[in-house]
Amino acid sequence: MNRSVNWRTRIAAAAAAALSLGVLAACSSSSSSTGASTATSTASSTASSTASSTASGSTVSTSSCGTKPGVAATGTPINIGAIDTKQSGTDFSDIENMTGAYFACVNANGGINGHPIKFFPLTEQTNPSQIASLAKQLVTSDHVVGIAGSSSIIECSVDAAYWKSEGIFMLGAGIDPECWSTPNSASVNMGPRYSSDGAVQYVLNQGATKIAFDQSNVPGTTYIADGPNALAKAKGVSITDYTENVPITSADSIAIKLVDAAGSSGAVVLNFTPPEALLILQAAQKLNLEDRVKYWACSTPCNTDFLATSLGAKWNNKLYVNAELTPLDGNTSPTAELYYAILKQYGSDVSGGVGSFSEMGFVQGEIMTHALESITGSYTIASVSAALKGVTNFNTGLTCQAFTYGNYSEHIPNNMDYTVTPDNGKFVEAANGGGCTLIPDTDPQIAAYRAIAGTAPSVNPPMS
Amino acid sequence: MPSWSDFQPFIVSGLALGGIYALSGVGLVVLYRATGVLNLAFGAVGAMGAFIAWSIIQAGAPGWVGWIACILFAGVVTLGYGLVFGPALAGRGPLVQAVSTLGLALVLFGVIDLVWSTSAGQSRSITFPTDNGGFMVGQVQVNWTSVIALAAGVVITAGTHAFLRYSKLGTAMRAMANDREITATFGVPVRRVEASAWFGCGLLSGIAGILLADLAALDDTTLVFTVVISSLAAALIAQLRSIWVTFAAAIVIGLVHDLLTPISSLTNYTDMTPFVLAAIALLVMSRGQVLTRSREEG
Repeated sequence: MNRSVNWRTRIAAAAAAALSLGVLAACSSSSSSTGASTATSTASSTASSTASSTASGSTVSTSSCGTKPGVAATGTPINIGAIDTKQSGTDFSDIENMTGAYFACVNANGGINGHPIKFFPLTEQTNPSQIASLAKQLVTSDHVVGIAGSSSIIECSVDAAYWKSEGIFMLGAGIDPECWSTPNSASVNMGPRYSSDGAVQYVLNQGATKIAFDQSNVPGTTYIADGPNALAKAKGVSITDYTENVPITSADSIAIKLVDAAGSSGAVVLNFTPPEALLILQAAQKLNLEDRVKYWACSTPCNTDFLATSLGAKWNNKLYVNAELTPLDGNTSPTAELYYAILKQYGSDVSGGVGSFSEMGFVQGEIMTHALESITGSYTIASVSAALKGVTNFNTGLTCQAFTYGNYSEHIPNNMDYTVTPDNGKFVEAANGGGCTLIPDTDPQIAAYRAIAGTAPSVNPPMS
Repeated sequence: MPSWSDFQPFIVSGLALGGIYALSGVGLVVLYRATGVLNLAFGAVGAMGAFIAWSIIQAGAPGWVGWIACILFAGVVTLGYGLVFGPALAGRGPLVQAVSTLGLALVLFGVIDLVWSTSAGQSRSITFPTDNGGFMVGQVQVNWTSVIALAAGVVITAGTHAFLRYSKLGTAMRAMANDREITATFGVPVRRVEASAWFGCGLLSGIAGILLADLAALDDTTLVFTVVISSLAAALIAQLRSIWVTFAAAIVIGLVHDLLTPISSLTNYTDMTPFVLAAIALLVMSRGQVLTRSREEG
């Protein structure tokens, strides 16, 4: 009897402990529903609390983000929404969190003609029905009048038709092809295809005679590979495409395969998320393969100091990474200073800190704020969309090109890149053509865009 | 078709991969032979230990402190699970026992995701001082960490084999796996023996976890599922009985996986290797059983 009671007690205690842990674990994967309201309230509370601190004069460096420094906006809010992927292994929520930080700064410094921006940053787990319902929620329940700060693996393809039907023109940091090939979506970044174009272009310009191009085995790889293949073909250089199942289990064999394919005067070009790219590069290093090819290159995701630090000095001027936005190391431009100040004062939710993701969020905040400030009447979906489409040659300060949204059937507004290379734990602009360079129109998609939109002028000088 | 010289570097990487699978596979078989439980939380426990080690190292502690913390954590958590759930599940079928460990794996997986969430595309890695040293085989460097992992697999396999065969505790474990009740009637302290088996399995998962964090990736999905599921194939080929066959099967799986990599028509299907080999092995083994039964019936 006692034994039975002891067992029951023990099992109950264990079950309770397991349940508690389970609840904790579950919290991490249910961010879409709770995350939306929490992030919203966080954004608004941050805005109001910071507004008062700014008003008290304790912060002055962020005052340039609004038209009335130190004056908190108190008018009717302008609702703006965003949908970002946030799931195990893939978290883009830093992008919308940084956009939210930018809006918080605007709100604390006069808002948009006295109106604060109320931000609704939602997160999704690459579930199409969830993403579709989140878009509807933003429009019908949250009454947003614009979308900015979005970055999702499949959101553009899922919601393109819905945004069109609602007359919403969105601003994002895209991933899937529809982010650049549909009329109602424009991205501040170049995305995997054009970023891979940039990486391949750099090694081709350096004289690589053969290219091994490798990327994650996910939907859309053929579309992405078409760009690098077109560039290599135009230069008469042989290119071999590979895809890898992720997460990678045998990075060693992949590194050997790629090095063998590229040859001693060739280049290996990777299009992976940082963790997977790092695995392949570290495997090459452990196997002493890094000098068996002439160049290693990578699309934008590799552009994080974390990766440069993890790799070490062996990769200085050996690895070349495409950078869609201005390198931040050593950048003391006014825009970079503002970026750092906003990140410090309002970016407590930006867990990754300084990096490409928060830069993308910052630029989206800039552009949407610029568009909203141009509106003279009421803030509706129609007026915000019209204002966004009207953004022309806007100097973001963090991209090579001026940003133009325009009324086009497709949008590739960022099609000029930098190339960076590791330098003892940091990424710095590469010598020999690492400055602002147009993605060539030998990529047929780029050619099609330039045919309708032309080439925007370069307004941001290459960093010294 | 690539030439023989093209395949040579992949033998080196295949052996390293096989060593990774062997570490986990042997750990799975050890506990199964001692308790009859297929511990599907083997990878998750090691993974969480590795993440704890990473945090300790990031806080500025020497690497060895993190490594020991990883191994101890894995031992204590597995022991705790074994003490609480082991006796209660002892009378249940193997499927229930295995699925209950899967529950622990999922809980730990959730906790890892919650505490060590990934952001801004960053990832974590654990490196050993032995990573950059080694010797050349052909055009490929074999680093000392891979050698250590392979050697650890051999030593653990041999040590466990000897322990189960020649030590008193090992004999008690084997007897208990056969029949817990009868073993208890012979005066064997069943709880203590079981606890030893769980703790030993936990220590092995910690060793595997910290080595895999360096050799494979410090990534929850990889450590919790991918590697362990592949290792399970090696254990199944050995019918969860022979530690040496598990070790050999793991090495063969690693070799076949990597030797298929340079063949362009098969390179995207190399991840199927453990499952295809396990399926073939099980089919061949079950064919033998069917034939035996037919003869008996005839």
